[in-house]
Amino acid sequence: MSAVETRRLVRSYPGRKDDSGRVRLALDEFDLRVERGEVHGLLGPNGAGKTTLCRILCTVLLPTSGTAEVLGHDVRAEAHVVRRSIGIVFGGERGLYGRLTARQNLRFWGALYGLSGRELRRRADVLLERTGLSERADDRVDTMSRGMKQRLHIARGLVTDPPVLILDEPTMGMDPVAAHDFREMIKQLRSDGRTVLLTTHDMREAEALCDRVTLVDHGKVIATEPTGAVGALLAHRNRVDAAEVPPETLAALRAMPGVEAVEAGADDTVRIMTVDAATVTEALRLLVAAGVTRLSTAPPGLEEVYLSLIGKRGMSVRR
Amino acid sequence: MRLFLNGFTFQLRLARTSPDTFQVCVTAPLYTLIFLSISEYGTGPDLTAYAIVAPTLMSLWILALSVAGTALTEDRDLGTLEGQIAAPAPMGLTFLGRMCSVVLVGLVAFAETWLVAGLVFGRWLTVPHPVVLGACLLVTGAATAGTAGLLSPLFMLTPSARTLQNTFTFPFYLLGGVLVPVDVLPHWIQPASRVVFLSWGADLMRDSLAGPAVHNPVGRLLVVLLLGAAGYGVGMVLLNRVVGRVRRTGTLSQT
Repeated sequence: MSAVETRRLVRSYPGRKDDSGRVRLALDEFDLRVERGEVHGLLGPNGAGKTTLCRILCTVLLPTSGTAEVLGHDVRAEAHVVRRSIGIVFGGERGLYGRLTARQNLRFWGALYGLSGRELRRRADVLLERTGLSERADDRVDTMSRGMKQRLHIARGLVTDPPVLILDEPTMGMDPVAAHDFREMIKQLRSDGRTVLLTTHDMREAEALCDRVTLVDHGKVIATEPTGAVGALLAHRNRVDAAEVPPETLAALRAMPGVEAVEAGADDTVRIMTVDAATVTEALRLLVAAGVTRLSTAPPGLEEVYLSLIGKRGMSVRR
Repeated sequence: MRLFLNGFTFQLRLARTSPDTFQVCVTAPLYTLIFLSISEYGTGPDLTAYAIVAPTLMSLWILALSVAGTALTEDRDLGTLEGQIAAPAPMGLTFLGRMCSVVLVGLVAFAETWLVAGLVFGRWLTVPHPVVLGACLLVTGAATAGTAGLLSPLFMLTPSARTLQNTFTFPFYLLGGVLVPVDVLPHWIQPASRVVFLSWGADLMRDSLAGPAVHNPVGRLLVVLLLGAAGYGVGMVLLNRVVGRVRRTGTLSQT
């Protein structure tokens, strides 16, 4: 039995229609399988359907059709069982009581999940320690920074020690240090054997944390692959990294058929994007002939795959 | 009980940082001053009991309206309602605990008004039936908390909740026999008054402050309790429907 499984999951919102007047689907025949103990990334642009999926899995939203299960329990028919199995972390600053302290927030939420007395107090203290909030435990939440609030969100999601954790853009608003700490925490959760479903825009975060990633757009699954193998989706589009390339060689590379782009990087490096394997060979031959010795080739990274499959949509958001 | 206590302590902690909750502790003595000032210059019967009972019940009702009216909508705006819907605990018990702690603040108004009547006007009201009075205050408080359970989803469903809140004050003081006994209201309105728990609570409270023996106190307390429980029951059905609807339609943020 997998930790999370959706089959032909559809969710529509009344009143949201496309240009032709048809109801727009937030999730369209969405199939996903997240194995137990896996950290699974859900990547997609704004409006792709990621948050809708998270809301369905945590039973706040009902599917229009299809099924969604958490640890084999249907989110519609067995919502009460599902609610006990999952921890939810929504991104942003909402979802906490600003006028209460971090400790009071955790105790309130813990009680809603059946904890009480000494166990509740102990659990709150452990989580405050684990998220590095012990020293601010008795401060009002509305006096905390965004990163601290986000850590408190994570503590809230873990308050019942759930086997499945759903994180909807959890590093939103975190500074780089806090985001790094967060990633360490996720690695710890994985080593605890927990299943994590993580939605993010941050490709480096997904590459660092996720065992597998699912690319999502327009409510549909574009691809699901192990993170390390995701470049295989664009295997023909290898890249060549080189340093100290003479200007005339760069010009020749730019003019070479099959070279999609030549991008300048830091420390006099360049990245040559190719559209097929034969061009890689040609580019390498040219670079070696020009005396370039610092060379490497690699398959496309997650970000390149994402941009290639989902497209450079800029600031546009799906209605 | 655990969930009830969780809601109770939670709301008390919120109240500590929210002066709104304690507003009634200021307004209740002022109402007593107004009512007794009018009574002082009139020639009618002694209205001290009325001047104490009315501000007490008005305080309870104001708190029920203001806190119940904003509890769920505030939770929705804070994004905490989503978390509560996703939690395994039923929302009703936590909500009742929250309202009971608020009502406790409202009951302080009784002591305040009694003190104001004595200290300012020298009218130290004796309590010939303290047990009935104590039971009446507690049961009326519980019924207020229960009725708040009905008001809260009602306000959540209403686009102009603030207007509704304001509309529900003075008409209910009259209908609930808070300012004047229901018996002196027009006959055609009296049946409607009798389905408002306040009317039973107000009559019994005034009787407990009067000399003669109180008629059927247990039966009357039960009526207050039943009306409060009915309000709570209907409120919880309504709340479940609201939650069910937003889960279906995905309109939590627009409710």
